[in-house]
Amino acid sequence: MAVLEINDIVTAYGKIEALKGVSLSVAEGKITCLLGPNGAGKTTLMMTISGILKPQRGAIRFNGQDLAGKPARTVVGQGVALVPENRLVFPEMTVEENLKAGAYLRRDAGKVPSDIASVYERFPRLQERREQYAGTLSGGEQQMLAISRALMARPKLLLMDEPSLGLAPLIVEDIFRIVRELNNEGTTIFLVEQNAHMALQVAHHFYLIEQGKIVFDGSPDEMEEDEVIKRAYLGSKV
Amino acid sequence: MDFFDFIQSITDGVLFGTTYALIGIGFTMIFGVMHKINLAYAATSIAGAYVSWAVGTLVPLPAIVTFLIAVLGGGAIGYLVYLCCFKFVPLSSPLATLLSTVGMLILIDEIVVHETDGMPQPYPALFDDVYFEIGELYGVRGDLLFIFFLSLVATTVLLFMLYRTKLGMATRAVAQQPVAAELCGISIERTNASTFVITGLLGGLAGAMIGASVGLLSPLLTLPVTVKGLIVTVIGGLGSIPGAIIAGLLVGAFENFFQALRGVTERDLYVMLLLFVFLTFRPGGIFSRSVGRD
Repeated sequence: MAVLEINDIVTAYGKIEALKGVSLSVAEGKITCLLGPNGAGKTTLMMTISGILKPQRGAIRFNGQDLAGKPARTVVGQGVALVPENRLVFPEMTVEENLKAGAYLRRDAGKVPSDIASVYERFPRLQERREQYAGTLSGGEQQMLAISRALMARPKLLLMDEPSLGLAPLIVEDIFRIVRELNNEGTTIFLVEQNAHMALQVAHHFYLIEQGKIVFDGSPDEMEEDEVIKRAYLGSKV
Repeated sequence: MDFFDFIQSITDGVLFGTTYALIGIGFTMIFGVMHKINLAYAATSIAGAYVSWAVGTLVPLPAIVTFLIAVLGGGAIGYLVYLCCFKFVPLSSPLATLLSTVGMLILIDEIVVHETDGMPQPYPALFDDVYFEIGELYGVRGDLLFIFFLSLVATTVLLFMLYRTKLGMATRAVAQQPVAAELCGISIERTNASTFVITGLLGGLAGAMIGASVGLLSPLLTLPVTVKGLIVTVIGGLGSIPGAIIAGLLVGAFENFFQALRGVTERDLYVMLLLFVFLTFRPGGIFSRSVGRD
């Protein structure tokens, strides 16, 4: 069953359309991956779903609710949280304050401490650095913090915009292990990636976006068989 | 000038400098959250004091109530400035808010001149009859000490708000990383508005303290207070609250020292020179902000 349905979304920066009628759907309980080159519109799509950018037209339905053009706080309130590209942690807040900021909209303040405790269980490094400013963390630690901050909103759908960007291969392995772990615990994940090889190991369904349009929609097997994708995104080794 | 005069002028300057510190905090906080300079801020502050003066002409008020009305008036005018100069103005244009706030600065001045016929108006002080003598040559003015105490309380309340409340967390989040703040569900627009109200409250207090220590309110106050607020902001480093506090005291001491040395008509020249010294040799302010990894 599709938990997120995007229909004919157009988002423009001034007169330049970055998304030219994108339609796709994200199945509940699965990991869906959006692949595409730089400038194809991946981040624009994530920002549009999250309510940071407003689409010119089109529909975004999450569990039947229309979210297109709604402010970010409504989207988060409905249970959709984004781990943004480049992490965007609050550099001059401590790790723990970053996590509390992630729980900003939560009404059940009493349960926030136990959620912070479970974040620390998942990421012991963050516990070690809980009193440290987030700006002093390494890239991998900041990515873990950005993921944790999004989790503090207790999302049903987690959007992740290139979580592996700029990280060392070992850390990337770690991040993808966590993506799979979160999915196994029941969180639906919609992932933007350029690292097609890593994405193939976790995702259940793939979309490919080029110049603001979806040009491929299929399973990992179908993707691996597609000659064009093989050449452009997976290299000659596959 | 002998040693005691020197110490005396520095003491008075530091005590009065707390008003500059509050004004500097206001400029710096608005800059931190919106990355815009609100040139109408010092005018807001003086206007808050004028509101309390106007209420005082209708009903006699004890000085402490006058101060309180100035604080509330500053908050209300701060919000009005946000509505008129920021909310509906294109924020992507760097000049738009600069011009709208200069316009507001002049408008507030014009209103004050119009309502008071340009005449200075008396403003009450508290503890101006108290004088703490320390030795024969040195002492502390009660009213300045009271101003110092008020600033201390106001700054403590502000820091508590910023670091211990949800509103403060939202304010810092928007200042540091607005997109992420939005993603956490924080409304940028509401945070901007609340920052104008909070800095307006501080400004109203600063305006009342300036009026109280001079004993007068005059439309001639807005421009020098604006300029000194900006100098404090530059010296403290844009966006740095601790910087604004230290810089405020520094400018107060510096100004009073040169007043004792060269007289009241000449002192501001040296304060202006201080601005250029800082812009040339330390443009990031006394605390150049720490930069994190990435």
